[in-house]
Amino acid sequence: MALPSFPNPAASARVLIVLSLLFAPWFAPARQSSSQFADIAARAAAARDQQNLPLAIDLYKQAEQVNPSWQEGWWYLGVLQYSSNQYPGAIDAFSHLLQLAPTAVPAMALRGLCEFETGAYDSALRDLDEAVAHGAANEPRNEQIIRFHLALLLAHASRFEDALAQYTALAHLHAEAPDLFVAIGLAGTRSTAFPADISATDRAFYESAGRAGYVFLSGDDEQADRLFTALFAQYPARLGLHFYYGYLLFPHDPSMAGDQFREELALKPTTETQALLALTLIYEGHFSEALEPAQAAYSADPNLHIAQVALGRALAETGDMKRGTELLTGAVQRDPNDLEAHLGLASIYSRTGNREEEARERKACRDLAK
Amino acid sequence: MSARLAAILRSSLRLLSAAIACSACVALMCALFGVGSVSAQQQKALASPTCATCHAGVANSFRSAPMRHAMEPDGANTLLATHPDLTVKLGAYTYTVQTRNGHSTYSVTDGTDTLSLPIHWIFGQHTQTWVLEKDGHFYESLVSYFPRENALATTPGDQRITPHTVEEAMGRRLPIWETRVCFDCHATGVGNRLDVVKITPGLECEHCHTGSQQHMADAARDNFKTLPPSLKHLDAEQISTFCGRCHRTFDTVMRNRWHGPAFVRFQPYRMALSKCFVGNDPRIACTACHNPHQTLNHSAAYYDSKCLACHGEAKTAAAANNLQTAKTCPVAKSNCASCHMPKVELPGGHAQFTDHFIRVVKPGKIYPE
Repeated sequence: MALPSFPNPAASARVLIVLSLLFAPWFAPARQSSSQFADIAARAAAARDQQNLPLAIDLYKQAEQVNPSWQEGWWYLGVLQYSSNQYPGAIDAFSHLLQLAPTAVPAMALRGLCEFETGAYDSALRDLDEAVAHGAANEPRNEQIIRFHLALLLAHASRFEDALAQYTALAHLHAEAPDLFVAIGLAGTRSTAFPADISATDRAFYESAGRAGYVFLSGDDEQADRLFTALFAQYPARLGLHFYYGYLLFPHDPSMAGDQFREELALKPTTETQALLALTLIYEGHFSEALEPAQAAYSADPNLHIAQVALGRALAETGDMKRGTELLTGAVQRDPNDLEAHLGLASIYSRTGNREEEARERKACRDLAK
Repeated sequence: MSARLAAILRSSLRLLSAAIACSACVALMCALFGVGSVSAQQQKALASPTCATCHAGVANSFRSAPMRHAMEPDGANTLLATHPDLTVKLGAYTYTVQTRNGHSTYSVTDGTDTLSLPIHWIFGQHTQTWVLEKDGHFYESLVSYFPRENALATTPGDQRITPHTVEEAMGRRLPIWETRVCFDCHATGVGNRLDVVKITPGLECEHCHTGSQQHMADAARDNFKTLPPSLKHLDAEQISTFCGRCHRTFDTVMRNRWHGPAFVRFQPYRMALSKCFVGNDPRIACTACHNPHQTLNHSAAYYDSKCLACHGEAKTAAAANNLQTAKTCPVAKSNCASCHMPKVELPGGHAQFTDHFIRVVKPGKIYPE
């Protein structure tokens, strides 16, 4: 697929070339420094300085044939090929470098970007995810391009929550761009498509939806609310739009989020929406009302974790302690770090007078909330 | 309830309704002769029952309960009426809250620019914060009134704000959800979308007893089938959840990862940390010590009796109800709360708050979470 116009990859590559000097510590000195190697390396550097990329690439390749353990050479070979849209070659260069220096996070990030361009999305996601986890996005000049591509890949892999977390970081950077809005619109409405893959007709919708989400993530909730309200009026039957706004509202106000989930369910009941509606009602203490959507969600997909937790809590709070305990215990076994399941168990043990178990669950909650 | 008893009650209510109708007629006549005319709205009000029509005792005591006054509208607040000129200088800004003829105005000036806004919504009965409206946006006043100092000071939590303009100095702009949540706990009729025109300041019966308006309307037509859900049968954990919708539960504090003494004011959360809290024991429920329909009891002896319900030496009552008894205190038999529920200074709150985490407090131990 074509590279989205945001942010400009060539410019970013130039930035990365400049930044490569900052990453010099992981360039181990060349073990072999024959006069032949030294000569090629010097000519490669000169060609690079003169922006003669084809010559520089050729010379770095020659130098690596003479001295394959030369880390700096692999780095520049990768960067120069990335800048010249020679992605398979760049991937190969960065892979050599990462074999020699596994902690070379910028190489990992650049390999991820190259893999993205070749359509190797699983590998790209793995590389970019790991690179960001190791601080690749901490450098402000690299942050936008890395986070943007990571977010695209996360949404493509149906990890929409994680994608929106990356877009939140971009919104805080005020990185406004039409492609970014389209991408946010896609992730928000739970589409796995890339911006370049959607039709011109749909693009207008996703751009508007993404702009509303971007404004929300930037912190202007009132303007976002106006934009979403306008979208609901313009696209009354569009699936995923109310879910999207409800999902954004959920951490702030479950009541407002619940209204959006109800609107979505009126258009089309989906398991995830039912489970989230149940969870909003549980947050508000409306356990009886939570029972129906929780049951519907769990019946439709017993493997959906939040449906299991919501049903367990709703059942326990409305009288079926035994079944509630079973479901919540199962949820904790599946994910010991699930705060919601521990909260449900703490409530059950409190209400049944099991002080030791209650204390254990409350401690688990406090530990998770630290 | 037996059918006979229900019939007697219905009959009583009809008699009561008739008596009210008579009273309404008398009032109507008086009004007619006194001022010459009564509007249709006034007639309707006179004929319409209220919760107090049947629940006179509890409705009467609730009038002075703190929750009834969780928010007050402009012109109804005695504190502002008795403190007509409040002022404080904080940094480059001078704040004044001026009350004249029952109307209060909040102003901030830097000496050059001045911003003045009417106070429409007064949050809190003792410590007061005002929610202000400007250009369709809601703001939490950057200064509040604190009774301990009898003065204005920075609103708790807003100490971190460094204003650069009078507008920023006026207040902290509230997100739509925070405004909704503030009003939802301090007023009645908020729902999932705030419309300030539709709310009633303070907590009315309907706030906790959902469906009471419908029940009242139906009861006036002799229909007693639409009763609000009973809260009498909630256990201690459920009561904590219920009260915690506003006073904040253990769950809420955990979900939000709130830490520190600022959250000591969330009693159901603190109570849940207590070793003696267990959800199936009514003696530790919020309502065991606090009657939400009455003013807050400040007598230590009153609360001692609550502690001794579990920790007393006379175990017969507890035993008769199959309730566990607990250790007796080796130090004292009175003033339990003064040691076991210490008061904690609320950061920036200019007040101390009773920590509902009941425990044996070790000297010098930091605030436990």
